[in-house]
Amino acid sequence: MGSILSLPWFDFTVSGVVIGSIYALMAVGLALIFGVANLINFAHGAVFTVGAYVGWVCAVALGLPLWATVPLVALGGGLVGAGIEYIAIRPLNRQSRIAPLLATIGVGLILDQIVHILFGANPRALPVPMPGWRVSVGQGSIGPIDITIFVTAVIAAAALYAFLFRTRLGMAVRATAQDEDAAKQMGVNIHAVNMAVFAIAGALGAIAGLLVGIYYNAIDPNTSFQIMLKGMVAIVIGGMANVPGAIGGGVILGLIESYGIALFGASYRNLFAFAVLLLMLLVKPNGLFAKGREREAEPMTGTFVIQSMPVRPPGWLLALGVAAAALVPLAGQPYLTQVMTNAFLYALAAISLTLIAGTVGLVSIGHAALLAIGAYASALLTIAGLPVALGLVAAAAITALLGTALAYPAFRLRGHYVAIGTLAIGEIVSLVILNWTSLTNGSMGVFGIPPLTLFGVDFFSTNPSYWLVLGLVVVFALLQTRLLSSHLGRTWRAIREDTVAAETYGVGSNYYKGLAYGFAGFTAGLAGAVTAHQFSYINFDTFNLLTSVLILTIVILGGLGNVTGAIVAAVLVAGLPEMFRVLAEYRMLFYGAALLLLIRFRPRGLLGSG
Amino acid sequence: MKPLLEIEKINSFYGPVQVHFDVSMSVPEKAIVCLLGGNASGKSTTMKAILGLQAPRSGRILLEGRDITGWPTPRIVRAGISTVPEARRLFGGMSVRENLLMGAYARDDRGEVAADLDRVLALFPRLGERLGQKAGTMSGGEQQMVAMARALMGRPKLICMDEPTMGLSPLFVDRVLELIATVNGTGVSVFMVEQNASMALRIADYGYVLRTGRIVLEGPAKQLLADPRIRGAYLGENVA
Repeated sequence: MGSILSLPWFDFTVSGVVIGSIYALMAVGLALIFGVANLINFAHGAVFTVGAYVGWVCAVALGLPLWATVPLVALGGGLVGAGIEYIAIRPLNRQSRIAPLLATIGVGLILDQIVHILFGANPRALPVPMPGWRVSVGQGSIGPIDITIFVTAVIAAAALYAFLFRTRLGMAVRATAQDEDAAKQMGVNIHAVNMAVFAIAGALGAIAGLLVGIYYNAIDPNTSFQIMLKGMVAIVIGGMANVPGAIGGGVILGLIESYGIALFGASYRNLFAFAVLLLMLLVKPNGLFAKGREREAEPMTGTFVIQSMPVRPPGWLLALGVAAAALVPLAGQPYLTQVMTNAFLYALAAISLTLIAGTVGLVSIGHAALLAIGAYASALLTIAGLPVALGLVAAAAITALLGTALAYPAFRLRGHYVAIGTLAIGEIVSLVILNWTSLTNGSMGVFGIPPLTLFGVDFFSTNPSYWLVLGLVVVFALLQTRLLSSHLGRTWRAIREDTVAAETYGVGSNYYKGLAYGFAGFTAGLAGAVTAHQFSYINFDTFNLLTSVLILTIVILGGLGNVTGAIVAAVLVAGLPEMFRVLAEYRMLFYGAALLLLIRFRPRGLLGSG
Repeated sequence: MKPLLEIEKINSFYGPVQVHFDVSMSVPEKAIVCLLGGNASGKSTTMKAILGLQAPRSGRILLEGRDITGWPTPRIVRAGISTVPEARRLFGGMSVRENLLMGAYARDDRGEVAADLDRVLALFPRLGERLGQKAGTMSGGEQQMVAMARALMGRPKLICMDEPTMGLSPLFVDRVLELIATVNGTGVSVFMVEQNASMALRIADYGYVLRTGRIVLEGPAKQLLADPRIRGAYLGENVA
């Protein structure tokens, strides 16, 4: 105990409050947008990054002092925020709840890619001259950077309060958050309110980006997603649309992280955030400051994407398509064959996601986690001596079990919480892989994964590997189509349409969701395992958020629940860009734009949802 | 009396479903006009059409002779139409004062809002004592009062009320009728949609009966009140 007590607790508290005040700035923006537009803005992390780089341009490239840099960063972030509302949100006109959420994922990818194009993918130093003194308090001390960040955050929060409670538009923002229809009938221009809120959130998020840069003396273009998640955890702690709650949630999260690092070490930093998130979702989904445990009812129970009649291509056309696909290696272009192998692996993953998204209505934003579990399971088992064929099957089975167990807490979530929950599960899997060094070799990754040989037959060279993957896609597509038209498939769709109604008819929805997840986990685990043997090297980042977003894009393009659609879309989204060098280089831009345009113009997918 | 609001042969649709068939109505200045009808008769859609929340596919809506069809809601509110929405729809987490100020949100003459607040509070003295209270914590009758006062804060020529007595106890219904008379007494026309026909007709000057999207009966309130067909319209029996 002596060693714990002797830790510099004061310093950990100071850094917790300082980082927490930055999280609070992020969270306030997310909470405002959630309150007014009923939407989790996944582009909010990208706005943070944009803010950091606007700050770099002002403070370093132009050499401006901090008092001039902060307002310019706020202005830049405000413009980006308003732009997001105008380009991505307004045109959607509330067609369905998940549409704007997915659109913000697309915008976030585009903004991140733009930052990469302009400033490169490597971190940059952000030296801001600070006086050298520190104030000693007991055993610890506070420095000028701590004070600058804390004071800036407090001023920003005070400005927000002045806006919300002292201005006419601020009053309209609060009224709209309470009752949008009533506000409209008072003559409030809802578009103007939305844009104002996105602009304010953008300004605050951009300032947060600058402050983090000042704190660490460096800015990094690859942190958008992580910081967005932190903001999201903070609003879950504070209670989604609760602005003061978001501030409290941010500071609490900062303290938890800081103390957690003090006790367990810095490599677990992000794990604390997600442990808190899961705990909150399970125990107090309305936030720490809410009275009841009841979640606020969200109207959608299912996928909340509009259903449509799926296009059903005739059997002969499908057979023709498979035959044509089988002939691809005969074109004698190994690169094309490799690209198509990769595309069909995505198709396998997409078949899996479309099952759970299109049937039981769990639109997962963390599907890459299932691939990662399958990949690691098969890699580790076969390195330990298991034959590859057995490794693949075992990995798929492990993914089915583990994936279902992990997703189980998300089964009872609805609407936005499904997005948050699945995202968190995905991140936790990746963090566990990173931190469980004794099993997974941590950040070094797993080397020397045996090549694909099944019962002594070579499946690792280009052509056989392609045929194997194509074969798997066809088998699982047929299997799944059979399943969907069975009694089980109808039950799944009933759960998607209305979970509560299905339960009143005696359908235990968790059991059926578990079955769907198990089947989907098996398919996805297999896709991950095959990928691992092809790559021969994997690490915690091989299957990341971009993978998840790509799979989700494919599933939406194909039409939720539509098996044929998912395969066609995988070839279009995962295959096509690789055939054109420019598209492959700006992959994130392409995926982001594809997602954005898709949501805008074909929310039901190319072939309709099933 | 000169008509303040005229609805000329509007046809409204929800997707492929037609909810108004050549509906025409008129609200004279300083009058109380009620629109009666059962469920799914098209009453609420009429309200939405007037407020610009759901534009009719054809026909016109005129305010003081000006065609306001298809205008965005904020512009219609500015032109002089306020609303007491169905179930009141107060901003429950905001104070009474802020609710009243929201009623004046669309006005251009912001300098006069303070004077109007005093005027409205003189009309509803009870609210003066409660200005700081959160609207959501008040009783149903008080909330109805806030909703009426909020509508008046827009300095409207016409207030549209959507089922103002819905969900209130019989005791409160009489109070609400008094409130409506008070509001009307300030020179504002009232257009109200109601299911409770006998109640609405007691204070109205003129009434219309809407059934499955068509006006089936209209006339001065006193005549309608005595008309046996009113009963028929509500029980779903055939009307003449």
